[in-house]
Amino acid sequence: MESESPEFLGVERLLEKSKPGGSAGWVWYGAGGLVLLGLLGGIGGTKPTQEELVVQVASAGMMMLIVIGMGTAIWVKLQRFREEQRRLGEVDEFIQLRRWVEAGLALEVMLSRPMRSPTHRVQGLVYLASVLGRYQRFTDALAVQEYLLKHVQFDRAGEFTLKVGRAMAMLREDHLVDADRAMSELRKLSGGQASGGLALVEIYRDIKTGHAAEAIEIFNKRSVVIREQLGHRAGDVHALVARAQDMAGDEAAAQKAWGDATVLTPARELVRRYPEVAGVAEKYVAAVMPGGMSE
Amino acid sequence: MMQAGDAIWRTRRDLTAGTVIRYALVVGAGAVVLLTGVRIELVLLALIVAWVGLAYRTVVGARMSAESPALIAAGQYDEAEKRIEQAVRSFIPSRVAKLTNLHHLAALRHAQKRWSECAELCLAVLRFKPAKAGGMGRGTRLMLADALLEAGDVEGAYGAIMGLYQQKLSLTEATELLAVQLDYESRVSGWERMMEGVERKARMLELMPAGRSGRAQALLALAAKKTGRLDWMEFLLRRAELLSDVQELKERRKVLSELWPGEVKEVA
Repeated sequence: MESESPEFLGVERLLEKSKPGGSAGWVWYGAGGLVLLGLLGGIGGTKPTQEELVVQVASAGMMMLIVIGMGTAIWVKLQRFREEQRRLGEVDEFIQLRRWVEAGLALEVMLSRPMRSPTHRVQGLVYLASVLGRYQRFTDALAVQEYLLKHVQFDRAGEFTLKVGRAMAMLREDHLVDADRAMSELRKLSGGQASGGLALVEIYRDIKTGHAAEAIEIFNKRSVVIREQLGHRAGDVHALVARAQDMAGDEAAAQKAWGDATVLTPARELVRRYPEVAGVAEKYVAAVMPGGMSE
Repeated sequence: MMQAGDAIWRTRRDLTAGTVIRYALVVGAGAVVLLTGVRIELVLLALIVAWVGLAYRTVVGARMSAESPALIAAGQYDEAEKRIEQAVRSFIPSRVAKLTNLHHLAALRHAQKRWSECAELCLAVLRFKPAKAGGMGRGTRLMLADALLEAGDVEGAYGAIMGLYQQKLSLTEATELLAVQLDYESRVSGWERMMEGVERKARMLELMPAGRSGRAQALLALAAKKTGRLDWMEFLLRRAELLSDVQELKERRKVLSELWPGEVKEVA
């Protein structure tokens, strides 16, 4: 019989297997044991008989052993926790450096067994959604994001970032109605505060639906917040604006926007993220980092 | 608003008290073995309860200001100040947790651009052994170097930066160090040195938030201009304009006015 190897970064499997193991029930057993031994050691009071003295000494000795044992177990757990934290830090660095293969492999290993901490698991799953997006597996990325939003209580900023990622994945999958609903949620969540991430999603939606003028208008209105909040990821917005300007027939503006986009992010990376700008990449001249090394 | 001196004094006092209590517990545990006529198991139980109580205080203390970095990043300085002050004023037996709170206060002062207070707090954190090594120590040194540069103490900043070269840094720390180092080198006119490995530096700076990245790339653009690498100057200048408010850049680093001598070009 041929054994089937599991799918690389299989979402259902990783979601199931990464669930943290049993709680530290042994701590309570240990604490209970200490109390029992404490009571047992009380037999005989301050003037014990020979037998009672033996019980008292044995109780004290066992209490010592339990304390040392618990201390050692806590130390070992702490070391494993730190190791997991270190590995997550590595995954974060791989993602920042766009070393997607290494990031994927590290996540596959890490999430294939019960994680030590629920917080680490959540962080690992957030990274998994990013890596799946890089592999163009948007349905899988959406599954992870939906799982996280359903099962985890994020702070407002965390929830917002995750929902921006989810809306982008929906747009990539052409789930335009769902994306529209997701954007409404984002607007509510932002509480009226301008957001670069939301502007990016809205501009992408307008490009997808052929509303070039609206995309350009959003960019003109929110260029400052886009610059301040997105940093080099503002290259994505400039690329989409180049596409919008091209759709609107303003080639000079499209060239400028494409130049700005590629000053911030290499053209190849932009085309990978947004297949819609492939035509722009062919038509307009990209800025290239001196030295000419492209990614 | 909590004064730096007050926070440092309270931290020192609590660290000393914590050490005394820990030693007392250890000595107490040892003495139990030698004592006669006392209920050994009850004394042991009392010591364990005391130890667990201290551990609990540590967890509570660590949680008090755990959210302050996020609050600082979100610009909610008043709320961060309130939580950090509460944590600094509380007795926390753990040295690391206590120093972390002082480190958070330094980070808050850094965000508030109160450079001398920030530097004072960073120096206080680094005086203690647990903070010298590890992530907190590296973060504190980076913050110290930046605060000293902002306060105009170039020599002090050099000392802080040098301490970091012997340590293994994370990617974020290495990027932060690069930005501080470029700032330092621009102040001592180390233009050639700034341009060494410029492509790698430009790529690393892509990982930073917009403002910091824009400023560092503007400084690199200036170095490119000074060394006659005009292709790099144009490229980095364009990046800086897309990432930062040029007027603000010129105000914070007068030397950058050389890049935009005339009217400031408005970037859409």
